[in-house]
Amino acid sequence: MSELIQSINSPDEISLIGRKLRESLSAAEITPNTVLEVFEAWAATLGQRDTADIPGVQFLRIWLRRGTLEPIVVRELGCEALDGEWMKDGRARLKAFPLGVVGHWPAGNIEIQPLLSMTCALLGGNACLVRVPNGLDDITRRLISKLDECDEKSVLTARVGMLVFEHDRWDLQEAMARAVDGAMVWGGAEAVLRVRSLPFPHWARLAVFGPRISVAAMDADSWCNSQEQESWCQRIARDVWQFDQQACSSPQALFLEKRAGHSFDGFVLALKKAFELENRLHPRQTIAAGLTTAICHARASWLLDDLANRACFSAAPDWTILVGRGAEIPKPTQGKTLTILEVDNLLNPVEKFDGNVQTLGLAMADADREATLTSLAARRGVDRIVKLGRMHVFAPPWDGVDLIRPMVRVVRHVASMG
Amino acid sequence: MDELGQRIDHLLAISPYGLPPDEREPLLLELLKDELEYASERNSGVRNYIQHWPSGIRSARRIADLPYLPVGLLKRQPPISLVEPREIVRTLNSSSTTGQTPSRIALDSSTARRMTKGVVSIAQDFIRSARRPYLVVDVPGSVGGGPELGARGAAIRGLQPFATEVTYCLRLDENGDLSLDRDKLSQFAEARRQSPVLVYGFTYILWKHLVKPLSAANICLGMADLHILHSGGWKLLQSEAVDKATFNEGLARVFGCSPDRVIDFYGMVENVGVIYPDCAEGNKHVPAFGDVIVRDPLTLEPVPEGEQGIVQVCSVLPTSFPGHLLLTEDLAKVVAYDGCRCGRRGMCFRFMGRVATAEVRGCGNIERYRQ
Repeated sequence: MSELIQSINSPDEISLIGRKLRESLSAAEITPNTVLEVFEAWAATLGQRDTADIPGVQFLRIWLRRGTLEPIVVRELGCEALDGEWMKDGRARLKAFPLGVVGHWPAGNIEIQPLLSMTCALLGGNACLVRVPNGLDDITRRLISKLDECDEKSVLTARVGMLVFEHDRWDLQEAMARAVDGAMVWGGAEAVLRVRSLPFPHWARLAVFGPRISVAAMDADSWCNSQEQESWCQRIARDVWQFDQQACSSPQALFLEKRAGHSFDGFVLALKKAFELENRLHPRQTIAAGLTTAICHARASWLLDDLANRACFSAAPDWTILVGRGAEIPKPTQGKTLTILEVDNLLNPVEKFDGNVQTLGLAMADADREATLTSLAARRGVDRIVKLGRMHVFAPPWDGVDLIRPMVRVVRHVASMG
Repeated sequence: MDELGQRIDHLLAISPYGLPPDEREPLLLELLKDELEYASERNSGVRNYIQHWPSGIRSARRIADLPYLPVGLLKRQPPISLVEPREIVRTLNSSSTTGQTPSRIALDSSTARRMTKGVVSIAQDFIRSARRPYLVVDVPGSVGGGPELGARGAAIRGLQPFATEVTYCLRLDENGDLSLDRDKLSQFAEARRQSPVLVYGFTYILWKHLVKPLSAANICLGMADLHILHSGGWKLLQSEAVDKATFNEGLARVFGCSPDRVIDFYGMVENVGVIYPDCAEGNKHVPAFGDVIVRDPLTLEPVPEGEQGIVQVCSVLPTSFPGHLLLTEDLAKVVAYDGCRCGRRGMCFRFMGRVATAEVRGCGNIERYRQ
């Protein structure tokens, strides 16, 4: 196991790692530009064959490029921050300083999330204590060892401690919470609630991402357009396939606006073909038996519930399309189970959003109607409204929250002799 | 229906474990196809499901290709039925885990009759057909008198055709808890010490209310010529670290018999008329009128020998509810598709536990909707 990743058995070990991280923080200040240089080198190493099979690694490569991250730093902290300069603010000046040690509790369903979360805090100059979820230790070790190789002066690795321990070791979870000044928490409702209840110091800042669900919607001009249908269906398939539909940004339902005289049959057929193609390109490697039975249950239940309901699905649990009518978001099954719902007007389902919807993936031919829908969705709690096929593109703000700024302190200096 | 019934009865009359797999599969396949069509005609929801199955029933070349229902669907209220309400003579309730909804199985008189025949056909292959005194380690109330019957009651009733008389040796104490009626048990043991006896109890009830108290008092009943059947699963005994060997030895010690007289069988009320007793090799077998398919969770294809997967049970017996092909929430390993050393033909398997409940996972896991 890489030294950056350690199996932890006692709270004292976490306290010790936390102290070392603080020493690294005190020893030197690092600028975002320095971090970006190391990230760029790290990205270059991730193109190699030994990490190519890790889900999301291509996204991580792109994420670590200066071209991706520099604009984010500039937008969140100002262009002066790149070189650690102060930014003028009238007669005062402002500069972002790290919070200190930032704890990361990533979700277990996205392989690269421990590293994505960590990069956000490192850009703010922080040190990072990352709890690597069960099952992700091997992947994370392979990826972080690449950082270890290219960060010869330990500019970043001196600021990183990755911890592996069982999620129900609450003594260790508590020790980790006590050791940090801020936390980035990602995951399902239960995980998030439990982490939030840990004994963080009173000054610790928490940025919580998730749990959320996402949906897609298409107006009639979009899904009826036979020339663009295939392209849209491929985009939907891409959004459904990533992360096995377990991400907060994964579409669980697709609302299609009704058009008189037009049947969904052609569209559903096109979507079926797109799902089959995506499945050939990206077949599932493993599945929990419980998810398989849940998928089978969802298929049967849908068709028994309402005789007007339709469905198409593979013989394997690979993918499922459930077709019906209604403006309510059905209970998600995940595992590439997409419910297509016919609505009279796309405003109808959006009016029912309750704040749990994170991303609304859209295909709308009418820009004015899209603007109206966007405003309504934003008022109803949606934080991301993007084109179909781009629902998972990780970019701030995420869940309505910036990614770097929450883990920095913006210091204001007004010169005493000015 | 009459023609279907005759074909079902024909399979019921065959020795349950005598058919080689290549003779059994075509018989079952054609019958199950007809039964699915019958179910389609009787229930529009079932028809909607079967119509959307990726392949047609008639083109199926294997039982594994036929549409199966997840067993959880049988928890619906009212029960999914293929007969008119007036035809339902009994409703079976599954033993659900605390807080969960039990399955509800509607039986008409034909299905109820076949259920009894099926259990008898299987059980007599293990314990012979003679009638004998039947000791039930439970309370009389578990069988009930009305149209509703729980899993314990169904199992107790299923073995009654082997009984010359039935004795219940548990009672409810003043708190309503089960307790051993030692006097009644002693009298029963005293009177039947020399004769063959059949004993049945739920696995955890046998352990908790019979083995533990009698072992603590160092009592041996001295009944050597008996068969002890038990079912209900091991979940409640796992917390006490009681494995099968410990359980069998404990029972043998208190009854004074050989541990090989203890037979664990798996049964689920949804799979009416079919039970899966352990053979001498410790394997479970499928009878001529049913089948078990162990499916790979990744592909839902049948697994090869030695592999484990999700259990699908198949039975031609029910005609009152769509319980012909049910995907369960249990896991099993296929030991062999034929050739068990016990001599029974067809596939043999072992249960490997329950499928862990699927939870909506990850950052897409919403526990509750906002107000």
